[in-house]
Amino acid sequence: MKKNKLKYVGKSIPIHDVTEKVTGRLKYVGDIELHGMLHARLLLSDIAHGKIKRIDTSKAEALPGVKAIFTYENSPNTLYNSHVWLEGMEIIKDERLFSDKIRYYGDRIAAVIAEDAKTAKKAVDLIKVEYEELPVITDPEEALKEDVVKIHSPGNVTFSKELECGNIDEGFEKADYVFEDRITTQKQHHAAMEPHVCIAAPDPFGNITIWSPCQVIFQVRLITAEVLNMPLNKIRVIKAPMGGSFGGKGQPILEPICAFLAKEVGTPIKLQMDRVQTIIGTRTRNAVIGKVKTAVDSKGNILARDIDILVDNGAYFTNGSAVNMAMAKKYFRLYRIKNQRYKGTSVYTNTPIGGACRGYGSPQIHTITEINIDNIARSLNMDPVELRLKNLVHPYDEDPIGGPNLGNARVIDCVKKGAEAFKWKEKWNRPKSKGRFVKGVGMACSTHGNGYHGAYPDFITMSLRLTEDGGAYLKSGIHDLGCGTVTSIKQIVAEVLDIHPDKILAPEGDTMISPFDSAGTQASRVTFVCGGCAKKVAELAKDKLISYAAKILNCSKDDIVVEDGLVWSVNTPHYKVSYGSIVTETQNNFEDSIEVTYTYKSPSNPGVYSANFAEVEIDTLTGLVRVVDFLAVHDVGKAINKGFVEGQIHGGVQMGIGYALSEEITIDKKGRIKSDNFNRYHIINAPDMPNVKVLLIEEGEKDGPFGAKSVGEIAAVASTPAVINAINNALDIKINSLPATPEKIIKALKEKERTVNRI
Amino acid sequence: MKLEFTVNGQDYTLDVNPDDRLLDVLRDKLGLTSVKEGCSEGECGACTVIMDGAAVTSCTVLAIQARGKEIITVEGLEKNGELDELQKSFIKNGAVQCGFCTPGMLMSSKALLMKNPNPTEEEIKRAIEGNLCRCTGYVKIIKAVKDVIEG
Ligand code: FES
Ligand code: FES
Repeated sequence: MKKNKLKYVGKSIPIHDVTEKVTGRLKYVGDIELHGMLHARLLLSDIAHGKIKRIDTSKAEALPGVKAIFTYENSPNTLYNSHVWLEGMEIIKDERLFSDKIRYYGDRIAAVIAEDAKTAKKAVDLIKVEYEELPVITDPEEALKEDVVKIHSPGNVTFSKELECGNIDEGFEKADYVFEDRITTQKQHHAAMEPHVCIAAPDPFGNITIWSPCQVIFQVRLITAEVLNMPLNKIRVIKAPMGGSFGGKGQPILEPICAFLAKEVGTPIKLQMDRVQTIIGTRTRNAVIGKVKTAVDSKGNILARDIDILVDNGAYFTNGSAVNMAMAKKYFRLYRIKNQRYKGTSVYTNTPIGGACRGYGSPQIHTITEINIDNIARSLNMDPVELRLKNLVHPYDEDPIGGPNLGNARVIDCVKKGAEAFKWKEKWNRPKSKGRFVKGVGMACSTHGNGYHGAYPDFITMSLRLTEDGGAYLKSGIHDLGCGTVTSIKQIVAEVLDIHPDKILAPEGDTMISPFDSAGTQASRVTFVCGGCAKKVAELAKDKLISYAAKILNCSKDDIVVEDGLVWSVNTPHYKVSYGSIVTETQNNFEDSIEVTYTYKSPSNPGVYSANFAEVEIDTLTGLVRVVDFLAVHDVGKAINKGFVEGQIHGGVQMGIGYALSEEITIDKKGRIKSDNFNRYHIINAPDMPNVKVLLIEEGEKDGPFGAKSVGEIAAVASTPAVINAINNALDIKINSLPATPEKIIKALKEKERTVNRI
Repeated sequence: MKLEFTVNGQDYTLDVNPDDRLLDVLRDKLGLTSVKEGCSEGECGACTVIMDGAAVTSCTVLAIQARGKEIITVEGLEKNGELDELQKSFIKNGAVQCGFCTPGMLMSSKALLMKNPNPTEEEIKRAIEGNLCRCTGYVKIIKAVKDVIEG
């Protein structure tokens, strides 16, 4: 790799639409007005389980301005699974547009279409629903029992799987110590600042166009076509500006409904949710109960590990198997443990639906296992950094259960360099204060993937044309979620072609124009896979440019020099022509275009790694925790845009600290959701956020574009266990249920006191 | 009801309903869509505008409460085709990701700087404590505001 010669890759160029964003000129879907557009609002259930006996819409219909109302009685009954993104995926289908059976507080009952959003809301409030209530299950362990109510007719257990390497019993037999923990993680709201929204518009030819801040245009089209029983070609999906997603807008939730409404009514429809509906009626990070048992010898070598994971799907299946499998895979890829077993089960409950959420299982599995690792270190009286260094994976280790090779896995570097930069030893050895405010430090590691290679088809087609004025037009189905995808991709193409990124047009996905992409913005694949394709297609276009330049300049291809938008022959260095002239001459004299289309299949799926270090200060009187110092070290291969990478990590840490301390979708015994807005669902705000420091390990990954690997998802993982471990370190307690609210901390302190007194 | 007020330096007389929020009037009647709605309860700050020099969440202000007042939205920051220093600093510091919180962040920080041209880091954090951002962890936003002070 020509490390120092990079011109655009590695630079902190601002996100492509930054001016439109700071001036407020960017139109998000909620800001778009179409001629004749009507507004829709959903009625969501206010019970968690039951059958609808009667829906009385008469009062709502009578309200002036109301145009139509749809329920299960006058809408398609098609069963689908909004998690499906590729035709042919075999999976449980249990979702309908509107159902006569309610399975959670927030289930969809009806949609009202009205002249304006206010009227639609009023009308929704006028609909009367009579239910026959059923017993409610909110606890996933309860759902496992034989004699409880079935949320869906086949039963509540939706998935179970066991994976193993080595010989688990042998490992445990040899152990000097066995450490067990039972740790629970909660449902988390994505909290993208833009609530869910979608516009669909029919045209006179029977087509429907959908504008959506989505993550996978081809998935939105696939699901919508399935539900409406329409040909794929009749549905066009345009990726609209995205006011944040974090996985929350990954599955098409509003799109099929909105398209259906537009088709029925024959006008453009805007379907919008407010915050309350977005919290209760979209998707959540799956709650998990994890029981982990780890065998170690007296020196701190991990000999075996056994884990039992119970995933709460919520009321519908969506990705109930995928998220469980994602956890399983990560479990085997962080430590070198010869004998390991993973047992995963997923169940239905009458609670909000699980779905993709930044990290996709990684935050849960690593929270559980990294807290356990620290508990082991404490029991052995060992520095957790030392314990980890003994057991972490090394570059190019094999995946013990036969998954893709780990690649240039630099987690040991992350830990070593991070410990030094954080002054870990000093802080770790510092005596604990005896006063009201106590400080502690904690750290944790994590791993995540780079796409779907090894699990699902992972390929993308891109098309690149050099333009007559020396620019380039990259046609592809990319989605910018606010993370800087468009700019990063442009930087990659710019680097290869040696033209300024501003000369490149790289529009986002539109199913009518974009070449096919197998998986969209999922699985941390964009930089690694889509970036890999962009690099390849740019190289091919450059090669074509050189071929024609050689013909035009009358020399061999080897004599051609390409630099900064200019081409010349080494034989005639004084005669330089622009890329644009080569393009124009190629068109006029050779009837060809400097244009290439390429389908790139991801060749590998290396791991990406991190080590996060946190220092907390706890008020032992109130139980309030403040994260006062934070260092995030990430093995990113190579940062395509340093500013974006830092930004991803900063934001990921904010989400991870919230997950550790305060964020929780709280559900009462009857399944009602209490934390339905930001005054009851607490995300970390500016005064509570530490000044996160970022350290990047850039050692390059063979198949990544310019050595790059993913960062967006792993950014939100290790911070959670690092903060919990810091709390446990400060107070010598064992937090085993997230979030570590002040009440739980006080309770743990009281329990500790009681035990100490007993002794 | 009649509402007379000034928005971004221009006087308006509008006919509004008593239950219209300032947010609705700015977005729907004046087309100022920089004003975003993220929670509708005064908890996220996406709808923040400046009213008579103070940052307010326009989702919790009734339109008629703005009678006789002077409102500034992000659309009013640019002067003679030139971006405000804060806007420039947000760009330079990479303080913008998805951008949905950005107008509110700009308004809260602008209101702070209008009152206190030399705030401390603590004061900056306090000024934006009601503005939630899920993308940036606030780090670069705080840096962007600090940069304006330090010039
Ligand atoms: S929309 Fe006004 S504060 Fe959230
Ligand atoms: S930039 Fe996305 S919420 Fe702040």
